[in-house]
Amino acid sequence: MSAQPPPPPQWVVDLNSPPPSKPKNSSIPDPPGYTASLTRKERAISSKQSSRKAPTSEEMDTLKMKKAWEVAIAPVKQLPMNAIGMYMTGNTLQIFSIFMVFSLFKTPVMAVLSLQKTFAMFETPGTSNRLIAVKLTYILTNMLMLALGIWKVNAMGLLPTTKSDWLAWEGERTWSERAVPREWL
Amino acid sequence: MRSHALALAAWLATASAIFLDDAYHTDFHYALLGLPKHDATFFQKPYAASKASLLYTVSDNGTIGAVNPKDGALVWRSASGPSSKGHLRGGDEQDTVVGAVGDRITAWSASDGRIVWESRADGAIVEDLEILEQEDGITNSDAKDAVVLLADSSPRVKRLDGKTGRAKWTFTDSSGDTPFQVSTSPTTVYYISLHSPLLGGGAKLRVTFLNPVTGKKTDSYTLSSEGEISTKDNILFAGANTAAPLLAWTDKTNRVLKVNIIGTKGVSSFNAPANVATEKIVLHAPNRVNSLAHFLVEYQTATGHSAEVYHVDLKQSSVSKAYSLQHLEEKGTFATSTAGANVYFTRLTAAEVTVVASVSEGILGRWPVNGSPALAGAYPVHGVSEVVVKGDVASAARSAVLFSNGQWALIRNSEIAWSRPEFLSGTVSAVWAELPEEEALAQELAEESHQNVVGAYIHRVKRHIRDLEHLPSWLQSLPPRVLGNLVGMSQETTVEDIQHDSFGFHKLVIVVTDKGRLAALDVGSQGKVVWTIDLHQFASDATFQSPSLKAFRGYVEVKDVDLSGSLFINSTTGGLLSSQDVKTTLPITTKGETLVTYSLVDGELKGNLGAGPSFEAVWTFTPPPGERIISYTARPAKDPVASIGKVLGDRRVLYKYLNPNLVLVTAVADSARRASIYLLDSASGELLHSAAHYGVDVSRPIPSTLSENWFSYSLTIDSASATTARGYQLVVSELFESPLPDDRGPLGALSNSSTVQPTKGEAAKAYVLSQSYQIPEEVSHMTVTQTRQGITSRELLVTLPASHSIVGIPRQVIDPRRPIGRDPNANEQAEGLAKYAPMIIFDPKWHLNHKYELFGVKNVITSESGLESTSLVFAYGLDVFGTRVAPSFAFDILGKGFNKVQMLLTVAALFVGVLFVAPLVRRKQINSLWTT
Repeated sequence: MSAQPPPPPQWVVDLNSPPPSKPKNSSIPDPPGYTASLTRKERAISSKQSSRKAPTSEEMDTLKMKKAWEVAIAPVKQLPMNAIGMYMTGNTLQIFSIFMVFSLFKTPVMAVLSLQKTFAMFETPGTSNRLIAVKLTYILTNMLMLALGIWKVNAMGLLPTTKSDWLAWEGERTWSERAVPREWL
Repeated sequence: MRSHALALAAWLATASAIFLDDAYHTDFHYALLGLPKHDATFFQKPYAASKASLLYTVSDNGTIGAVNPKDGALVWRSASGPSSKGHLRGGDEQDTVVGAVGDRITAWSASDGRIVWESRADGAIVEDLEILEQEDGITNSDAKDAVVLLADSSPRVKRLDGKTGRAKWTFTDSSGDTPFQVSTSPTTVYYISLHSPLLGGGAKLRVTFLNPVTGKKTDSYTLSSEGEISTKDNILFAGANTAAPLLAWTDKTNRVLKVNIIGTKGVSSFNAPANVATEKIVLHAPNRVNSLAHFLVEYQTATGHSAEVYHVDLKQSSVSKAYSLQHLEEKGTFATSTAGANVYFTRLTAAEVTVVASVSEGILGRWPVNGSPALAGAYPVHGVSEVVVKGDVASAARSAVLFSNGQWALIRNSEIAWSRPEFLSGTVSAVWAELPEEEALAQELAEESHQNVVGAYIHRVKRHIRDLEHLPSWLQSLPPRVLGNLVGMSQETTVEDIQHDSFGFHKLVIVVTDKGRLAALDVGSQGKVVWTIDLHQFASDATFQSPSLKAFRGYVEVKDVDLSGSLFINSTTGGLLSSQDVKTTLPITTKGETLVTYSLVDGELKGNLGAGPSFEAVWTFTPPPGERIISYTARPAKDPVASIGKVLGDRRVLYKYLNPNLVLVTAVADSARRASIYLLDSASGELLHSAAHYGVDVSRPIPSTLSENWFSYSLTIDSASATTARGYQLVVSELFESPLPDDRGPLGALSNSSTVQPTKGEAAKAYVLSQSYQIPEEVSHMTVTQTRQGITSRELLVTLPASHSIVGIPRQVIDPRRPIGRDPNANEQAEGLAKYAPMIIFDPKWHLNHKYELFGVKNVITSESGLESTSLVFAYGLDVFGTRVAPSFAFDILGKGFNKVQMLLTVAALFVGVLFVAPLVRRKQINSLWTT
């Protein structure tokens, strides 16, 4: 075998045996904003002190309702951005505007379809009644998104709202008489 | 953005034009002259140093033109004259030809047809025209003078300067004779007239000698020809420009030929061959001063012809028979040609060309003629020829021959070098033929649509099984068709091709000429004449004046005033059908409709109930006092409308007033110089709209057309009216059910309507919008394009006689809703409406005829093709022209630039690529399954 390894360098020694974090009986106060690491005992004491009492179920329900309202309002928050996006894409039929309009239609419908799943985590016996209003609001806000989509489609001229859209189904009048020049016979 | 796109589309549509690669392929043009006249057709060098000669002629309708004898292409021509009497002469080694039609005497540059000088005879008709070849025996090397004979109350002979056309002298004949002809010899000008005695009977021939320098009368003599001659037509020949000018006539039975050498008083008589009845005698003589004084007399019988050659002895002033050419039992004719002093006669029959010299009867050259389908069954009527003789053998001969079927052909030795269908120049009526096969299919389909679903299905399966019998022949024809498609070979088209044409471009047009000749032209294959027949073979005793045609499924009906009843001709073969074979149906009315017919009777438009003429008039339209109806235009029988409304920019609808019974009546008041337009409902006779225009030149044509829910007409504004500018106006009016959008007028959404018994009180009247435009040229005829379903926007086709063209004006340009005095707003822009401009300049791209010059177009007819985008156009008159137009571009067919070979190669390359890549992908997939 080789010879004895050389003694470890000073920095290794320093690293392995850090200086005591705080002199036990130092009168020097800690700098502001410095929290000294606690010893195990202290930690145990502090944990005992900081553990608040568990929230009551009512508090939980209030919290869940708050969260549920946030989810319900979320589509409205996207509305201005979507509206600007729609306005900017113009009324021509392009692949981008078609995709955006398609997503405008798809998102609300899918959201409404997965309504129960979205709000399942907020569902508790205490909130279930109050959630109905939230769910209704959620549907409403999604409908607002849908309305934006419909407005866009209308602006693109894709909704059959005018008479010209039904012109093909209108027939030419039939005439009871037919008059022709004599030389045609 | 949308509006911009629409505006762009509208702008594109107005720029519709003929593509370079379509020109000369999808269209065709017969630049015709008319049937050439025998005495005014000749080969001549266009200038003295020219190597090749051109073929000059004046036709029976007064068109003067030059044709390249090499390929039959027209070199130049003048517009057809007002009179059928035309003369054309060209002096030897001159660069001009002098022609006279009506009262106009014109010298044309022989090589390009530019006018050198023109002289008008002030109402007198030019009776004859000759060139003074020699003067006092010396050939004039400068421009040779012309001698003309003017028929008037006092006939005149004039000598016109060859350079300027000014008269050098005038000789006036005040004896009251009927002028006949002038003839020249090197020393004298002879004026030949018919002296009719007061007591009637025959006419004497008077020959007056004129001094060519002064025009003074030097001598005259009279020939007693009372027994034979009563009119000019009895005179056979008065030879011109020869050393021995001849005057020949015959009696009414064509038994005796009498010949006088002009300048002498002696008359020689010869008897025609006695064994067969001679129908016609024609005298052929050379017209060169230095050629031998020999001539040929041709005796035509009902079935054959023969000839005799005579020699003139100038010293003794006698005529003697040299030899005779044997009688041939087939129709033929002779042509004279000269080479130096020698005279050659070319005998032309449908089967053979032979050349003999005038001095002896030995045949110098003989060529059997290779037949041509265009000339099948026809015989030569008259011709001119050029012969090359080396030693005693004629080495080459070419003859421009008019055949009895109206083809003007050039026979070069044995072959037919070209033939021009000159008979088409007399076309008076043309219709699009409807083929019987289409009808069979249409009938089957109609049957299916009327059955119940199961029955219709069984019927359809049966029909398809029956169609299987065509499969083998179809498979056989497939490879050549595919190859032809790929390589772009042009095949000979037949009627079969027309029946198997999926695009519907090969449509037959049946034309009838004023001489009673019927022909079928395939518009899809360069106007090829598919068949041609003479109607006289079906109605031998009839003389046709202005035959009219009407097309039915599979046959056409020919009517003429002189024809008792009508002839029914099969559209595909040209054969006669008996009246039992044809189904006489009234295709116009459908079930439950009351038929009203109307016609112009004694200046009034009268409508009758039913088809019979005996019914009482249910309505009468009488123009206001002082006005007379000049024409009326009905909506076409076949006028499909795709949309019953016009969609505005804001997507509202203006409903069109669509009445199939509209008729547009044009009336003029001559004294007030007013033109009035009346729009009538021809079922009830009710006036829907009227417009009056003042200061109109009522002698000019007022063409009009009516289609869908709009009509247009064109007027010439008189220069005499001080307030308005002189010019030509185009007026366009559009009819709507109501001025308000989204409103269907008083009738509302009612699907039935009647103008005779209106359901809601007064019958609904149309709301009319009109706009008028100044146009740069006079319009002689106008019509509208037709497509299969009426989806494609229409084009107004106007014929411009001044620039010899046909122009298709897009509908957007003449939309009466163009905003006036302001720029279009966004909605109007979305509709493609541009600001109203009072002047329409005809865009060069609108001209359908591009480089062709269309002379004398009388009528333009349009038809749908198999494709919705395309309408077929056919114009006739003097010229015959056919083309296709796609007013909204050819959106349903691949253009010529589409490379089918490249497409196939791409598909094949992709297929090969897939074959190579497929195993690689498969291996990769399997590997990925194993490695994970």
